[in-house]
Amino acid sequence: MSTPLASHAGTELNIMQRLLNNIRQLGSLGFFSVLVVLIAIIPLLFIIQNSLQLSAEKWLGLWSARLPELLWNTLSLATLVALGCLFLGVSSAWLITRRDFKGKKLATWLMVLPLAIPTYVFAHIYTVMLDSDGWLGQAWTNVFGSQVAIPDLYNIGGVTLVLSLAGFSYVFLLVKGAMLHSNRTLEEAARIQGASPARVFWRINLPLLRPAIAASLALVVLHVLSDFGAVSMLRYQTFTLSIYMQMSGRFDYQAAAGLSLVLVLLSLTFLVVERFFRKRQRYYSSAQSSLIQPSQASAWQQVLIWSWLGIIALFAFILPLAWMISWSWASWTEALIGAEFWGYVKNSMTVAFLAATLALVCAFPVAFYHSRKHSVLSNSLFNLSTVGFVIPGPVIALGVITFLTTQLPLLYGGLIALLFALIVRFLPLASQAQEAAMQQLTPSIEQAGRILGAGPIENLRRVILPMISGGMASAWVLVFIDVMKELPATLILRPTGFDTLPVRIWIEASEEMLELAAPAALMLVVGTLPAIWLMMRSDARANN
Amino acid sequence: MKFFSRLSVVLLLLIQSMAAVAANDALVIYSGRSDKFVKPVIKTFTEKTGIKVILHSAKSTALLNKLRVEGDRTEADLFLSNDAGSLQAGTEQNLFQPIPDELVSVIDQNLRAKDNTWVGLSARARVLVVNTNKKNVQDVDSVFDLADPRFKGRIAVTHSGNGSFIAGATVYMRAADKYRVQRWLKGLKENSGGKVFNKHSKVVKAVASGKKDVGLINHYYFYRHLVKYPNAPIRLVLPDQDDKGMGIAWNVAGIAVSKHSKKRAQAEKLIAFLVSEQGQKMFAETNREYPARTGVPAHSDIPPLNSYKTANVPMIDLFKYRSDTIELIEKLGMP
Repeated sequence: MSTPLASHAGTELNIMQRLLNNIRQLGSLGFFSVLVVLIAIIPLLFIIQNSLQLSAEKWLGLWSARLPELLWNTLSLATLVALGCLFLGVSSAWLITRRDFKGKKLATWLMVLPLAIPTYVFAHIYTVMLDSDGWLGQAWTNVFGSQVAIPDLYNIGGVTLVLSLAGFSYVFLLVKGAMLHSNRTLEEAARIQGASPARVFWRINLPLLRPAIAASLALVVLHVLSDFGAVSMLRYQTFTLSIYMQMSGRFDYQAAAGLSLVLVLLSLTFLVVERFFRKRQRYYSSAQSSLIQPSQASAWQQVLIWSWLGIIALFAFILPLAWMISWSWASWTEALIGAEFWGYVKNSMTVAFLAATLALVCAFPVAFYHSRKHSVLSNSLFNLSTVGFVIPGPVIALGVITFLTTQLPLLYGGLIALLFALIVRFLPLASQAQEAAMQQLTPSIEQAGRILGAGPIENLRRVILPMISGGMASAWVLVFIDVMKELPATLILRPTGFDTLPVRIWIEASEEMLELAAPAALMLVVGTLPAIWLMMRSDARANN
Repeated sequence: MKFFSRLSVVLLLLIQSMAAVAANDALVIYSGRSDKFVKPVIKTFTEKTGIKVILHSAKSTALLNKLRVEGDRTEADLFLSNDAGSLQAGTEQNLFQPIPDELVSVIDQNLRAKDNTWVGLSARARVLVVNTNKKNVQDVDSVFDLADPRFKGRIAVTHSGNGSFIAGATVYMRAADKYRVQRWLKGLKENSGGKVFNKHSKVVKAVASGKKDVGLINHYYFYRHLVKYPNAPIRLVLPDQDDKGMGIAWNVAGIAVSKHSKKRAQAEKLIAFLVSEQGQKMFAETNREYPARTGVPAHSDIPPLNSYKTANVPMIDLFKYRSDTIELIEKLGMP
């Protein structure tokens, strides 16, 4: 009897040894990225476990009853929002990088500031403003008379509008960065050959911008796929909203998990396709290349430029801000803002600061490993680390609670559960942004450091980190802003009695206490300002 | 490496303690009811007993999900919800513990769980609001009138995902019959022309402004609007009151003690206060609802309890038949 047992133990030992060997081959970087990804996919495992309990019959029911409509709704929305963001983002970035005009700095700020406003606040403010006694509703009636119905937002057009206004800044930021670094020799060559400006734009500029556009559209589409705020407020059935309804209306966790799984697969497919297209397009610019200088705009052109940028800024930032201020003023004078309110501000900032910092640290090995090693493993790790972004917040939340309470009960009950979920959720944002920065690192610089006798840690500290610090800062800011705005996971996972600004906005808006929702929304914008300032500063430095 | 592992342990502990809001001696309520209506009552309770209370607000159903997956690790001592359906869902999922009978016997039996795992605190009625300037709505006296083709484009209802909408439709399914409700929902879809409202307050506003003629709401939204606009041309209609009428749909807000609460004694003190005459009056009056305790008068603005007929449907049906309603709504593609 003892022989089979011994041989069994022997194979186990073999497996262990092989595993250890494999880990050794991975190197510490690989080891840490495997570790991070293992943590990041915990909610995914929760989804898979729950959807496995879904019978074939129920899958079939879901498939025939819900999926075609949800797929169509979600995909058409993502396409329209991508087009909307592209139009707003590329046009504004083009004007700002190619022309010199008065107030350019202000214009740049105005194009980035909409990032500070969450989609549910956008949706909320616009529905209120479009009421018959709202600002836009009254303006509409004054212009068109009361016979022409005021347009409402409860359709795909309305959701597209809201999500485009809330998301075009991503396109603006990335495209602007790429344009500032684009080489003018190609463009000049084309012009000399007699190509018209329009032709140059389509044949030279646009293809050169393709990587930046692809990356920013990926951000936009991921935000659309995961958006809960705008679609729930405007009642537009997407995957995320439907998953939420399954969980909250019927307590049908299996159906929710099944739909989440489809959503995850959908977004993974999208990411892989996007990477594939990006990979085929790589442009290297030599260090000595001459960059494009913006040309001075004539007075007439300045008026045109500012009217276009002004219209975008008006709807994407100025109007919402004015609305928030006017309502906040009302509650300020009614003394509704008390000590409790500043507590919410503090909570929001604390969570956003911690989550952004931790997400950056966790994303580092994944991004670095991926930019160094192009293997199946590094690619899969990198792609797997992105699943958290599209798993709906409530689902991540339940996954995290289940995991912590059953596996690590000591860690449950404080901020850790919330930070855990937020890191899982925003890891992809951090790793994508870091990887973009790391792509600028040429291995030769690193090798030079090693030849000069620096150890790996010292090399990291003195060579690599300083070179990518700008990119790291933007990654941190992107995560910070998104955490500040995050609602669904925070609503469920925050420690008891720990309210953040989005949570308060949700509570007050759901009870229709508009005057209380406004100051919280305003503080959210104010609280995000330092982060945006940081990003703009590191951006400006990188470009000088 | 050792240094780093120690550092991370310290950091973890630090982070964990940062948010510990001194919850040790306080009662924690997972609350799906608006803060604004709960806080004044809680404040009085704390003043009276010295027991601190932390309100943890979110959507009822989300909190119920949380309670379920947290199991015995939950910090919640009580669960407060605006919807009997959610309360009963918790009972069915075995998340609550029974409240002693002598504590809650003052509450009408239909307004609490059979095993006392939850107890109703205040009730609200599903009513109609009409614009007094419109001639065509003078004879409206049933919720089923909303589906009448003559009101095409004239009705205001919330979207069908709204908890009160689902609860109301569930009551009608039980009080009238399923096919009638199915026809009714179809008519609503037709008459609303796809344009529904995301808030009850907007339903009242649309009727008051004359944009719509008639709306379906919970009764307190009517009074809330009148507080802001005392001269609004609106009238409340108590529907389905004639001999064959099914009566008005009710729903109840209530409270339950979490199964894993470690502060059962304090939790029961809070419930004792909430069902006391003073607690009942405060809890219901802040929102002009009906106190669940018989004999405690409602706010004088609202129609007295015994002045109208209510639908004879047990509150636990709001859970039992809820998914049937949702299925119907989804099948019809209600907006």
